[in-house]
Amino acid sequence: MVDVQLSDAEKVFILHGVQDNCREDGRGCEDYRHLEIETSVMSNTNGSARVRLANTDILVGVKAELGTPSPEKLNKGRIEFFVDCSANATPEFEGRGGEDLATDISNMLYRAYDCPNCFDLQQLCVIPDQQCWILYVDILLLECGGNLFDATSLAVKAALFNTSIPTVTVTKDEGVVDLEISDDPYDVQRLDMKSSPCIVTLSKVGHSHVVDASQKEECCTLARLIMGVTEKGTITALKKEGSGSLDPTSIEDMMETGRRVGESLNKCLMDALAEEERQGTKKKSLGFLR
Amino acid sequence: MIITHLNLGILLTRIWRSMVDVRIAGARSSTKPNVSAEISNLVTPGDVITADTGFMRGHGTYMEDEKLYASVAGVVERVNKLICVKPLKTRYNGEIGDVVIGRILEVGTRRWKVDTHAKLDSVLMLSSVNLPGGELRRRSEEDEKMMRHYLKEGDLISAEVQSLFSDGALSLHTRSLKYGKLSQGQLVSISPSLIKRRKTHFHNLPCGASIILGNNGYVWICPTINEEVEQTGGYEQNLEPIQKSDREVIARLRNCVLALAEHKMMLYDTSVLYTFEASLRYSVKETVKPEVMADIIEVAQQRLEREGT
Amino acid sequence: MPTDSRRLTGPEETKSPYAYVKQKKKLQVLTGKRHDGRSPETLRPIFLKADVVSQARGSAYIEQDNTKVMCAVYGPREVGRKEDFSMKGIINCVFKYATFSCRYRRSYQQDSEEKDMSVQLLDALEPAVCMHKFPKAQVDIYVTVLQNDGSALAAAITCASVALANAGVDMYDLVAGCSVRIADNLVLVDPTESEEYKSQDDNPVNHGSVTLGYMPSLYQVSAITSKGEIEFEVIKKAINLCGNTSQTLYPVLQKCLNNSRFSLSLRFSLSLVRYHFCVQF
Repeated sequence: MVDVQLSDAEKVFILHGVQDNCREDGRGCEDYRHLEIETSVMSNTNGSARVRLANTDILVGVKAELGTPSPEKLNKGRIEFFVDCSANATPEFEGRGGEDLATDISNMLYRAYDCPNCFDLQQLCVIPDQQCWILYVDILLLECGGNLFDATSLAVKAALFNTSIPTVTVTKDEGVVDLEISDDPYDVQRLDMKSSPCIVTLSKVGHSHVVDASQKEECCTLARLIMGVTEKGTITALKKEGSGSLDPTSIEDMMETGRRVGESLNKCLMDALAEEERQGTKKKSLGFLR
Repeated sequence: MIITHLNLGILLTRIWRSMVDVRIAGARSSTKPNVSAEISNLVTPGDVITADTGFMRGHGTYMEDEKLYASVAGVVERVNKLICVKPLKTRYNGEIGDVVIGRILEVGTRRWKVDTHAKLDSVLMLSSVNLPGGELRRRSEEDEKMMRHYLKEGDLISAEVQSLFSDGALSLHTRSLKYGKLSQGQLVSISPSLIKRRKTHFHNLPCGASIILGNNGYVWICPTINEEVEQTGGYEQNLEPIQKSDREVIARLRNCVLALAEHKMMLYDTSVLYTFEASLRYSVKETVKPEVMADIIEVAQQRLEREGT
Repeated sequence: MPTDSRRLTGPEETKSPYAYVKQKKKLQVLTGKRHDGRSPETLRPIFLKADVVSQARGSAYIEQDNTKVMCAVYGPREVGRKEDFSMKGIINCVFKYATFSCRYRRSYQQDSEEKDMSVQLLDALEPAVCMHKFPKAQVDIYVTVLQNDGSALAAAITCASVALANAGVDMYDLVAGCSVRIADNLVLVDPTESEEYKSQDDNPVNHGSVTLGYMPSLYQVSAITSKGEIEFEVIKKAINLCGNTSQTLYPVLQKCLNNSRFSLSLRFSLSLVRYHFCVQF
């Protein structure tokens, strides 16, 4: 993890601040930092999104490829997450430096998306038992300013919302199956991803917990609870991270907060995406011009 | 009736308790004004500053074929015959007498390594600190062993630049009671070129907090320091909880400092204070939003121009 | 994916025959009793033994019916890489399924699931270990699942904590692992492989699993993981059940450690007796 070093007095300051529900920038314990989102940022992908959460910057590109389904899920496609920690974010990521963090994030995403109701893999099926779409969701960490899990999941959900897959027509001619893939950019299908989860990370600071911890706050936490929450408030994945342990009652409190925040996070994200979609081609695209 | 009211109350608190604000990036209005014609003395590396041989070569320039070229992108500054180019974003180039904030990186033999945002790590010698219990104390071997006890890795200090080594590394000292270890508060890091050189860099702002504008671009914001009582070099730290009202002031100041830096405004006591006062129309939470930031800065800027400070 | 050329990996194109077997759609328990005759809240019989690898600092072996896990602990020893220097100790955890331990053959190299398990195991054990007691040093924990019949992670947590205690590493508390399978309104403790949650089975909401690492004398949760889409109230209930069940495991862990110490002291006293004999003759 990208760490900052703090003196004891600074840690005490942060700890008491969380207790008072007044964090370093005046936020309350359940507030997110400024969050910006943009979809369709990369032209060579089937769907893409970029999320900036204060100074955490994440870019996601989705590419769809045709492949054979795995034998235990013959009528389903697959979704693969790959996280790349760019050394642009911090020199520590150079070489294999970011590998552990990357597998942590991708494993959490796999788990959060690993239930049939969150993301229906049957919609990726082309010919049962033979051909299916495989979605490669590539995540690039451009800047790390804390709370990578949440930001990543938001970017992934936005990119999946933005993803469109070319329409495939299957023709059977004397037992020979023919696939015809449309190259018309408007002859595409969107994905159903309304119920995909967002990840909410709750960091235990002192006796309270906060959402969307900044790097300094992450430095003060011993234990974090990371959970995948759908818009209905169901929990799709749960994980404790860090070297500390948690009281069963505080786990309950944290889960309650996580569920509440997760619900509103999902809702706000979908509202923003719908708004962007409504603006259509008129929308001002910003891309990387900041 | 009462029951429904209660329910509504719970609902309202729930909505208030969690704030998530997802924006579309395209909706952002361009907050940065067009500054092309205004500043004429902007140069990029390789630009000829002057072909006149009567000038002296300063920082950020190089001489070739009797012409003076810029080696960094920034603003040309001239002091008599000396020409320098001051880059907008830079590591800190120390000068003797500067007030800096630093973070201890390493405890060595008779010295601490300190991060001051400079190119090389700075040095704080054991002989140039005030030790607890009086200024004129001899440094014993005991003190050498206790070094980690005084200042350990991660601790923050305020100090003055005492001298420069030949390789450009800084030697610091804290031999005045106003310098020393810092207690509770917040550190904000901005570009050193945005800090205006002033007589004093320690300010007790009337809004109820103290601020140290380090020349190295590190800004320290903390609760007001009581000058007579608490200047002990920081060895006795007050770790009592800070009142929420003070904490809000500190958070607001932090956001103001960052807003000033975001809009490339110079930082000094008046500009910080005016920004702070302009921000009072908003709640602390709101001051991190870009459009609010821009508004605050505009108001503060107008006031500064009006009063000519 | 880098492959290991020194080992026989077999042809790449093979598939396990079980992949083509039609899956049973329903969990057996929904239609009646659990297939091994247990009630939903009962654990399988546990066999736990410390000191099974003679050359390791500490080791343990756990058997939960057909789930068999072995763990060895080495160290503390000096950290190899200098850049990893820290005033606290470091724990290195490696979780591995033996290649033949599951229905499907596993590869020799750690796959992403095993890496994830390693991280979870580390998170479960770290809070229980007094990390400040061995600065600059590293403890290696190797867990190998010999046979997997469900709840492997829970068994691994229990086994590794006993192995750590057996190695004489300072610990605040032991950690007991427990997992449950959530199936609608049923919560099955200690699921077997056939009862475990599998994402490919098209389960509706409220099907999933929860695994907990619990420190029984501090009443603290050191690890928690879940799979599947579960409602808040249901998962809360499952966590409580997990905690309570782990608590019942505590005496087993204590007894196992006491036994191993007993055999140690027995050996010690035997050698003393021999010494006495020597003096006598």
